[in-house]
Amino acid sequence: MDERSTATEQLEARVREAQVAGGGEQEFMLDVRTQDMEVNFGPQHPATHGVMRVLMRTDGELCTGAQPHLGYLHRCAEKIGENVEWLQYLPYTDRYDYLAAMNNNLGYSMAVEAVLGIEIPRRAEMLRVICAELNRIGSHLIAFGTYGLDIGAFTPFFYAFREREWMQALFEKICGARLTYSYIRIGGVFNDAPPGWLEEVALFCDTFEQKWPEYYDLLIENQIFIKRTANVGIIPHDMALDFGLTGPMLRASGIDFDLRRDLPYSLYGEIWKDGAFRIPVGKGEKGHLGDCWDRTWVRMVEMMESIKIVRWCLAHIEEGPVLGDLPKTLRVPPGEAYVGIENPRGELGHYVVSGGDKVALRVRVRGPSFTNLAVLEDLLPGSLVGDAIAIIGSTDIVVGETDR
Amino acid sequence: MDFQGINDRLLVLHAPGLLGADEPRPPDPADKKDKGRSGDPYVLVDPQQLVPFLEVCRDDERLRFELLVDLTATDPAVDDEQLWINVALLSVTHRHRLSIKCQLPKADPVLPSTTPVYRASQWHERECAEMFGITFAGHPDPRHMLLPDDWVGHPLRKDYEFPKEYHGISCE
Repeated sequence: MDERSTATEQLEARVREAQVAGGGEQEFMLDVRTQDMEVNFGPQHPATHGVMRVLMRTDGELCTGAQPHLGYLHRCAEKIGENVEWLQYLPYTDRYDYLAAMNNNLGYSMAVEAVLGIEIPRRAEMLRVICAELNRIGSHLIAFGTYGLDIGAFTPFFYAFREREWMQALFEKICGARLTYSYIRIGGVFNDAPPGWLEEVALFCDTFEQKWPEYYDLLIENQIFIKRTANVGIIPHDMALDFGLTGPMLRASGIDFDLRRDLPYSLYGEIWKDGAFRIPVGKGEKGHLGDCWDRTWVRMVEMMESIKIVRWCLAHIEEGPVLGDLPKTLRVPPGEAYVGIENPRGELGHYVVSGGDKVALRVRVRGPSFTNLAVLEDLLPGSLVGDAIAIIGSTDIVVGETDR
Repeated sequence: MDFQGINDRLLVLHAPGLLGADEPRPPDPADKKDKGRSGDPYVLVDPQQLVPFLEVCRDDERLRFELLVDLTATDPAVDDEQLWINVALLSVTHRHRLSIKCQLPKADPVLPSTTPVYRASQWHERECAEMFGITFAGHPDPRHMLLPDDWVGHPLRKDYEFPKEYHGISCE
């Protein structure tokens, strides 16, 4: 009974807040409670973005409890890391956040390089940043397309996939794969860009810049979308920190923090000093700070910032080697390092321990989706069942990463 | 702040449970077997004092580690008698990081849960518990995280034996 009444209180508070924010226009019926029921959401529901199950307790239209159950996609990535050679593990990194495989490659390579203590050729760093940012755009396109799909807007999805298709074709040209790239290697990148590739990236940037305002108007500024997402699933400042949220989820709650600027790695420090990009932070423009609309908006604006970073790299790239001289069987000196990079979903951390052998002692993957998902346990109770989909979609999780 | 600054600050504060710091060093030229240590520096902390230590890290004005980014464990070797607990902290205000390592005896792997300090550690601890057989005393929700509820053994232990079958499904 206690849980029920707190959930109702939360909902009533939220309704009052929404009424204040919306100028008293919205009227909510509060006689939505009927009886306690357990609803099994997933493991195959399309809005779970993978094979995930949320056990929801409902009371009529009100969600009173939520328990995410993970592990359906557990593929023992960390155990495999202790059993294969350093370089052999790279293809496995593609498979946790399969929408941002370039960033995963980068995170793992940088962690091993931190223990090795080696420098990367400058052209390789440029290609790394270009690929990581293009992949960020591709990942955010999926985020915004499928989010629309989750809450009933079908069209943005097709536009998102049209642009993403081009991005994947670009990656296919540079490394031969469309999803699991393994392009960024320990010591640099696998090969140099083929002739004409950089020019095509520039063309992609031009085209994307023209299309982007259309998508923004189509979904983000759409009145139906705003009504559906503003003031829904609010994550306050302190809650975001307490749950260890990172990436767009953290920035949407008004916390101005991005690893690319604040703890710069690769070339990002230099790019930031040049003033080439900025960090979008949620402002609560359409509703309350930290709501679903803010999270989508942050991702949307980040895409354009990524374009600016790519352009900076295209303007500054020089000829040179792309892969350092490393032995085929890598022996990493004893030591350990934790390296966190800004993935599209937040901080991707790799903690690697070497005992001086050709196999790692420990490869730990800290996936941003994992921690970002934990917030559902506290966020869903008190919301309407209809909003649950909007909230889960706005966390933009990839189940391959939560389960690894 | 860099690692040196953070370590000095922890010493000034008499942070509970702080045992020392470990920094990377080059190989000793006199000893041919010594390969040195590379990578990141970290602080060593007594696992039983981890909760008050994290409180200091979170609440001190000049440290202000608001985010617990990662909490995990490591089993360094089959014949090693210790497990490591590895914690990664991040400060949004001051833009610095800290790695913490605790050594926990394999014979009695119990330490207090850090969930009261950082809510973020709840899921990390659940994963750690099932993978390494560590008990986090006072954990509010000690269920399995990624493995099925009836899974036997702790897969990330170095002495883990792979099961031959699971519910009639051959694993060989």
